[in-house]
Amino acid sequence: MFVLNISAQQTTLFMGGIAHLGNGKIIENSVIVVKDGEFDLVADASRIRIDPSAFDTIIRVYGKHIYPSFISPNTTLGITEIDAVRATKDYDEVGEFNPNVRSLIAFNTDSKLLKTVRTNGVLITQACPRGGIISGSSSVMHLDGWNWEDAQLKADDGIHLNWPSSYHTSGWWAEPGSTSKNKNYENGVNKIKTYFEIAKAYSKYNTEMDLELEATKGLFDGSRNLYIHADYAKEIRESVRFFKELGIEKIVIVGGKDALNAILVLQEFKIPLILERVHSLPVNEDAAIDQFFTLPSQLQAKGILFCLAYNGDMEAMGTRNLPFTAGTAVSYGMEMEDAISAISLNTAIILGIDNKVGSIEKGKDATFFISSGDALDMRTNNVEIAYIKGHPVDLNNHQKELFEKYKDR
Amino acid sequence: MKFIKTVLILLISFPLFSQETFPNNGVESTFSPIYAFTNAHLIMSSEKEIVNGTLLIQEDKILAADSLVILPEGSIIKDMKGSYIYPSFIDLYSNYGIKTPERGSYNYRPQYESNKEGAYHWNEAIHPEIHAFESFKYDKKQAEEYRGLGFGVVLSHSSDGIVRGTGTLVSLSDEKEQKSMMSAKSASYFSFNKGVSSQKYPSSLMGSIALLKQLFLDSYWYENTQKTTNISFNEFNNQLRLTHIFKSSLATDYNRIYKISDEFEIDFIVKGNGKEYEIIDEIKTYNFPIILPLNFPLKYEINNPEESNILTLSKLKHWETAPFNARILSENNIDFCFTIFDLKKKSDFLKNIRISIEKGLNKYDALNALTIVPATLIGEEGRLGTLEKGKKANFIICSSDIFEDGIIYENWTNGIQNIIEEKTEIDLRGNYTFKSGNEEKHISIYGEMKKIKMKEIICDSTSIIYDVKQNSNTIVFHTKDITIRGTADFTEEMFIGKYQNLEGENIPFSMTRDSLFQSTEKEFVMKYDTIIPSIWNPNKAYGNNYSISSLPTIFTNATVWTNEEEGILLNTDVAIQDGKIIAIGTNLKKEELWPKTKIRVQFIDATDKHITCGIIDEHSHIAISRGVNEGSQAVTAEVKIGDVINPNDHNIYRQLSGGVTASQLLHGSANPIGGQSALIKLRWGSSAEEMKIEGADGFIKFALGENVKQSNWGNFNTIRFPQSRMGVEQVFYDAFYRARSYQQAWDEYHALPTSKRRKIIPPRADLELDALVEIINSERFITCHSYVQSEINMLMQVADSMGFTINTFTHILEGYKVANQLKEHGAGASTFSDWWAYKFEVNDAIPYNATVLNNKGVVTAINSDDAEMGRRLNQEAAKAVKYGGTSEEDAWKMVTLNPAILLHLDGQMGSIKIGKDADIVIWTGNPLSIYSKVEQTYVDGKLLFDITKNMELMKRDLKEKMRIINKMVNGNSEEETQKIEHTEEHHYHCDTVEDYE
Repeated sequence: MFVLNISAQQTTLFMGGIAHLGNGKIIENSVIVVKDGEFDLVADASRIRIDPSAFDTIIRVYGKHIYPSFISPNTTLGITEIDAVRATKDYDEVGEFNPNVRSLIAFNTDSKLLKTVRTNGVLITQACPRGGIISGSSSVMHLDGWNWEDAQLKADDGIHLNWPSSYHTSGWWAEPGSTSKNKNYENGVNKIKTYFEIAKAYSKYNTEMDLELEATKGLFDGSRNLYIHADYAKEIRESVRFFKELGIEKIVIVGGKDALNAILVLQEFKIPLILERVHSLPVNEDAAIDQFFTLPSQLQAKGILFCLAYNGDMEAMGTRNLPFTAGTAVSYGMEMEDAISAISLNTAIILGIDNKVGSIEKGKDATFFISSGDALDMRTNNVEIAYIKGHPVDLNNHQKELFEKYKDR
Repeated sequence: MKFIKTVLILLISFPLFSQETFPNNGVESTFSPIYAFTNAHLIMSSEKEIVNGTLLIQEDKILAADSLVILPEGSIIKDMKGSYIYPSFIDLYSNYGIKTPERGSYNYRPQYESNKEGAYHWNEAIHPEIHAFESFKYDKKQAEEYRGLGFGVVLSHSSDGIVRGTGTLVSLSDEKEQKSMMSAKSASYFSFNKGVSSQKYPSSLMGSIALLKQLFLDSYWYENTQKTTNISFNEFNNQLRLTHIFKSSLATDYNRIYKISDEFEIDFIVKGNGKEYEIIDEIKTYNFPIILPLNFPLKYEINNPEESNILTLSKLKHWETAPFNARILSENNIDFCFTIFDLKKKSDFLKNIRISIEKGLNKYDALNALTIVPATLIGEEGRLGTLEKGKKANFIICSSDIFEDGIIYENWTNGIQNIIEEKTEIDLRGNYTFKSGNEEKHISIYGEMKKIKMKEIICDSTSIIYDVKQNSNTIVFHTKDITIRGTADFTEEMFIGKYQNLEGENIPFSMTRDSLFQSTEKEFVMKYDTIIPSIWNPNKAYGNNYSISSLPTIFTNATVWTNEEEGILLNTDVAIQDGKIIAIGTNLKKEELWPKTKIRVQFIDATDKHITCGIIDEHSHIAISRGVNEGSQAVTAEVKIGDVINPNDHNIYRQLSGGVTASQLLHGSANPIGGQSALIKLRWGSSAEEMKIEGADGFIKFALGENVKQSNWGNFNTIRFPQSRMGVEQVFYDAFYRARSYQQAWDEYHALPTSKRRKIIPPRADLELDALVEIINSERFITCHSYVQSEINMLMQVADSMGFTINTFTHILEGYKVANQLKEHGAGASTFSDWWAYKFEVNDAIPYNATVLNNKGVVTAINSDDAEMGRRLNQEAAKAVKYGGTSEEDAWKMVTLNPAILLHLDGQMGSIKIGKDADIVIWTGNPLSIYSKVEQTYVDGKLLFDITKNMELMKRDLKEKMRIINKMVNGNSEEETQKIEHTEEHHYHCDTVEDYE
């Protein structure tokens, strides 16, 4: 492993890498120039002529793979540390409606977890609060920084709403129970509708500051996303129609296990999806055994904009496995470059950060990494260098240190 | 539903006949009349039927039942006019007249000891001392309900707990208990359900089983020693001579009950669960008589197609097949009787019996199941079950065949008449000419025979409706406006009566029947539907609908990962036969492998494919019924996962699709010494017993750290020892010192000459200590859940001091810190690839763990502990390549050969080697790559997963689902339905120990 220090003012040329641009394209033999923390040139070496002497640094990466930073949406990474230790959990606030609560300020840039995640190619995360009906506001963060202020990529990108589930399933994987209708569904939905009608009224006219409602204003002027966490088709249809009628512009469905049954509404309103973890068990004993392995390719075929997430059990530490869920999507029918988009550019578009990150394109932040092999396969994923806005990222971590300490004991 | 009306004709108050031992207040009634039921259709038993016979009874006895009976003088004769008389029904599983015990208020603090005061068993769920006769109280309402359905006698018990006590045989007559109770103790009852006991132990099905087994051992020992007095043991031992009824909840319980029956040589009648048809071949071998419930699932209300998506095929198939259950038992010659215990609406009983008959159950088998079979099962065939001289006068009088559309008119219990439905013998319906003076009208009486309606016909389209009531041959009627109010008596086709007009005049009239009422109702027809739906193994999605055999097969031209010295072989063939690998090489020829035999050999072209042995998951919790943890005590070495394997778990199929062929099903990690493991092969479609690996060594789960000290169980779970790592060590020393003394006691006993041995009492057999002794003697092997180095070292020292070796540390996320010690001690490691940070104790877990351990020469496996990840263990192995650079061959061994070694199964699996089991997986590419998929998985040479067949199964399942849904949607629209939302089943979680009923 080699780490290079590129100063922001200098130009660096990366020669010969297999560049997966994140936008669905691949350049087998690429030239990539980084200048002032941004991509200055992204080109096919066979098509342009480059004078290497014009660059301060030249890095030859022949046969290696270059990827834009993978982005992990919808995760508690950075705002939790150890599942079983309550003191380390900073993602769940008291109360049902907390749009004003911000994950941003709880983001721990010194979390041991962050460093083990970025070593697999995930350099950007969306820190999401959990719990209640409105959990709070998420922010998009770099997995490096002195503090939350300089780690932020987009502060308060959106509000997370937990739409009631129309069904409940009892049991757990060892003994799955039955699925039954949620009797309180209508009540829960009405509560949300009432709340947002008031929020809309407030956004138009108010005399006094209301912390909660103030935080929802961005939903009505299109500056913030509304992330609706919903799985079943009925929930997706009902929530999307309600919020569209209310005039909320940017809606994202999070979860979407049953999205295939809600395709029409997603297409009609062009609603993007942050998809449930690909490595999940099927919904019930009848379902296809590879139900969630094949879901990405099926959504792709329907023209839905979606990205992959790793939320679920052990999501924070498990985020380092996000690239492999894209690998599984490839194994089950997706094109390789499309699967890469599903953890890079698509995610950036959905989170509203594609002007800066998500793909290797001129003018975007030089937030990317180089792996000696295919990064979507654990067999070959081996991140050798990574950059955030052109700055190299320390790829050492707590676990590597322990490995070094004990391997020859 | 029909209106059931019961009238007690003879007396409303109790003493029908005086009781000899009771003082008599008043004049003694001594006369007992004889009743003669003549012209009856007597169904005396399934074997004897008299179309026109007489039944003679006196007091509570049958005097005669025959075609020619001389009526004694003074008999009260009742002309039955062809009514059917049957012996009344018997229910052996009832709680009639018994108050059901209630659960106490929930206590947040765990309760480890019994709250019951007195000299009883230590566990609240064991109470043989509960006798139903002690609390039995005549219950008028319940008695009427049972009688209305045709029952005469029930065996009633308190349906609570594991050892429930005795049931009492009672007649359903309205008499004092001294009269109605026929036998104080007729049977003793068992179940695996803990019931209302608030004590922690047992918290799982396997705990219930272990508790019951220990009870048998203890009661035997108690009988011999009599060291102390324990009422529960006294009672238990007394009850061994009774009939035993064991309640099952799951189809798989039959095997569990059988094992207890077999081990302790005790016969059971099993209270069934309605899914017997799923395992009929297995049940046949057990030969238990079965008390069958009749609660067929209602059809589902399917309005929204999206909702029907959550209805599983297994539920639909059960809905369709459940009514065939009795017939299937009967065709397989299994003795069975019926109970209405599980019926939510008891009045569905006859309906469901008739449905069973429509599904092909023979009427006479149904009659037997309701009468002589239950009577015989409890040894009461001398008193009950048929209409024969000397037996109890318990019978029902029905309008016609009870198994078709017969209505029960009367139910005689102990010779006492109970009217169920008043017989309306007079049919008044018809068209009449009404005459009063010069007035003449046309009147029609119509409607149901028992609920007549009346109208005056003006012309074809106009009529005046009258309100009418009938009482025997008298009618009372009036017009809506009361211009006419009248009454009349019917005799010889004519009414004679009077009516009153508004002026108050009473005017006589007559009404002559001109024609009889023409019923528009159809004749009753049974709707036979006798084609038994196909039953799969298991009876759910992806179940096998045919039996799969092992075909001689040659896989050709593959890349073969042998896990042997040969390494990875290119362009190689593998041949299998009879579940074993028989040849590996290039260009294998059928003629050479099977010379001189004509054999059909299957060739599978595996060009560009990779062949490996099956994946072995060293740490799995799939396929376990009702609780993976018996975490209610610190030491539960007595419980066995092998007792609670659930062969129907669909995770078995899912894991086959990931190339897994064998698993160690482990007890959870809730206590330092957990239960015994089961080693299974994923033989999808086989029974629990068939899944077990024959001859496999015994293993047991140990655990250390946060789980066993209940660190993450909340603030109330701070009572059980241990609560710190310090305590954990002491639990082990205590357990093994106890085990040593136990072994010593037995050794001393066995060392005695037989003659001396007979004279002394053997030591008490203890299932927990038996397992611990096996460990000390290296006959049972430990898989220990562990995380941090201090505790790992501690346990190795405990083992060293006791002279045995820890076989495997599982999880062992700090194994990389203690690899040298592990190696020295001889322990293996079975770890996660990259899990960490979910608890404080895994803060130093590293994904390089497997690599370091492997490099130090520790036998290292990677396991799942998770049903989802269990499908992707090949990918988890690949992480050892990524983290630390383990070679691909070594990484692959971590999920195949190494777990085989750790489970002592490497002699028969874990590599592609001649003579080993044909547990074979065909991959589309390098098995470590995320882009590779399993094409085929063979277990013992049987193709149990096939990527193409899987698609066909999905289509088949969908077709089957739609077929049944169509049947539901197009069926009888008046049939009662259930919503898709329904009562939740009770389930348990890995780290919490919940109680269950």
